[in-house]
Amino acid sequence: MIPLRQFGRHNVKISAIGFGGHHLGDAPDEPAAVRLVREAVDGGITFFDNCWEYHRGKTEAWMGAGLAGVRDRVFLMTKVCTHGRDKALALRMLDESLHRLRTDHLDLWQIHGVCFDNDPDLFIRKGGAAEALEQAKKEGKVRFVGFTGHKDPSIHLKMLATGFPFDSVQMPLNAFDANFHSFEQQVLPELNRRGIAALGMKPICGHGSPVQKGVLTGEEALGYAMSLPVTTTITGIDKPEALQQALKVAQDFEPLQPAAIKALRDRCRQYAADGRFELYKLSLQFDNPEARLAHGFPLDMQQVEVREMLRMADNSGRPFPPTK
Amino acid sequence: MVGAAGLAASGQSGAEIPRRPLGRTGLEVSALGIGGYHLGSADSDAEATQIVNEALDAGVNFFDNAWEYHQGVSEERLGRALKGKRDRAVVMTKVCTHGRDKNVAMRQLEESLTRLQTDHVDVWQIHEVIYENDPDLIFAPNGAAEALLEAKQQGKVRFLGFTGHKDPSIHLKMLSHNFPFDTVQMPLNCLDATFRSFESNVLPEVNRRGIAALGMKSLGGSGELVSQGAVVVTMGLHYAMSLPVSVTISGIDSLGVLHQNLEVARGFQPFSAAEMQTIRDACRFDASDGHMELFKTTKKYDGDLGREMHGFPSSAELPA
Repeated sequence: MIPLRQFGRHNVKISAIGFGGHHLGDAPDEPAAVRLVREAVDGGITFFDNCWEYHRGKTEAWMGAGLAGVRDRVFLMTKVCTHGRDKALALRMLDESLHRLRTDHLDLWQIHGVCFDNDPDLFIRKGGAAEALEQAKKEGKVRFVGFTGHKDPSIHLKMLATGFPFDSVQMPLNAFDANFHSFEQQVLPELNRRGIAALGMKPICGHGSPVQKGVLTGEEALGYAMSLPVTTTITGIDKPEALQQALKVAQDFEPLQPAAIKALRDRCRQYAADGRFELYKLSLQFDNPEARLAHGFPLDMQQVEVREMLRMADNSGRPFPPTK
Repeated sequence: MVGAAGLAASGQSGAEIPRRPLGRTGLEVSALGIGGYHLGSADSDAEATQIVNEALDAGVNFFDNAWEYHQGVSEERLGRALKGKRDRAVVMTKVCTHGRDKNVAMRQLEESLTRLQTDHVDVWQIHEVIYENDPDLIFAPNGAAEALLEAKQQGKVRFLGFTGHKDPSIHLKMLSHNFPFDTVQMPLNCLDATFRSFESNVLPEVNRRGIAALGMKSLGGSGELVSQGAVVVTMGLHYAMSLPVSVTISGIDSLGVLHQNLEVARGFQPFSAAEMQTIRDACRFDASDGHMELFKTTKKYDGDLGREMHGFPSSAELPA
């Protein structure tokens, strides 16, 4: 049985491991994605992550198909992608997300990609996305609200300092983060103190590079992240093997002992020192094209990596909706 | 865009380019310096030579370079252009160990001296201190800091420093070692003033210690502040030169750019405190997410050699 944990200050329980929505878009086709979602539900995963802009809506549509008939057995989250733009846009995105996910409400709606230093100011401004969260909650379209970002603990703290009543906050948590621009040290204790549900992500650094380089195993990485004081650890699931690994680690999960935690941190320390496995903190690689465009960061179409990123996001390189 | 209206942003034609003390070194340097990277980007060797010669004749005496710029071409061009005029110039170059040991540094110094056609450099700086563990690696036993001291003792370099473009906290970590640095180079421009600010966090500390401050990236590294509409060229350069620095190092890859920047430097008078504040305030919104200071917020300006030494993907694989 996969342990259930309390969602922050609310009397709601969710599975200690969460199904990451972005990777679902890497499944070969919709039937394969539907099977993954069904097997996850049957395996005891109740927390499902998604986002309006993942693969331009494909992952929401696939997850919606997978959850048809079992929607009420899960705690469904998706994210809104204003990247500093206004409330009206946010509410339009919400209706699109609900439609794709084939539901009339979300359990959790989060601000996506809070990664730029001025995002907190743009969020809380008059007419900003904060007002959309409040309104959606009032209208019963979402039960809880939160935000997510992978860039810098100081930006998360600035979001918290706006005083907005968040129910959850998502952040990268792994054995490398423990010693580098650390969400674990700077943000997690603050969330625990405030009774805000902490959602961990990137337990294997996003694309598993430290596992490929042999620094630690997938099981160790997941075990570390799940042993922190979080409500759930969201892990990307793109194929049956990834689902099986996640289910295996989460089955009757017992947190690692402090000595084992310390040993993992120590093993990762030398790699953590320059952030080589946490590029999401140091480069724009993980900041999707829409966020860059909304913030006026350049997209150099001559660059191979930028073209690949656009392809992965099924993105034209032009902002959607238009920014100006 | 902050334009020239109401603020006199250019100097006086015909007047001299001011000289300023280079910290406590006893040297005096021109308020405008020639950046070595762009010297390697100039269309031809001949144009690079002419840039250096015209700059010297206009009263510029500070020349920046680095061992790794354009695989040595920047140093070779400067060396050729200064042939016979070496003693009119304050020559700075940088060592590119990126965490490797003293021996690597000493070998690079010999190569720099050969390319620059000189027996000594006036200032030798540690290049691109931009990774969080760089200070630890530089000050480790047998690290680059020891090479700096040894080179000075041997008379191959006169003064020592470091440079980096990423984060004020890394500069402060370097300074916390209390190593006898004579110079510290950093990005200084009117957007930096309100975003991850070297101007607020590092410059006062460097001034307090009597270390010469060398400004760079006055227009964002590749003119982003201008091309994206934050400021006009003359205003941006004038802002950077008005800060308490010894020299503002400017990337100059053509005679056209040289002439434009010399016009700002001739008879240079710094902006008043009120004028500086007006510009900072006007740039505050553009500064607020760092989209014009890409050297702070992306990997774009981080060199391939440094990435390799730190286990990062190359610029082809990870451009920004």
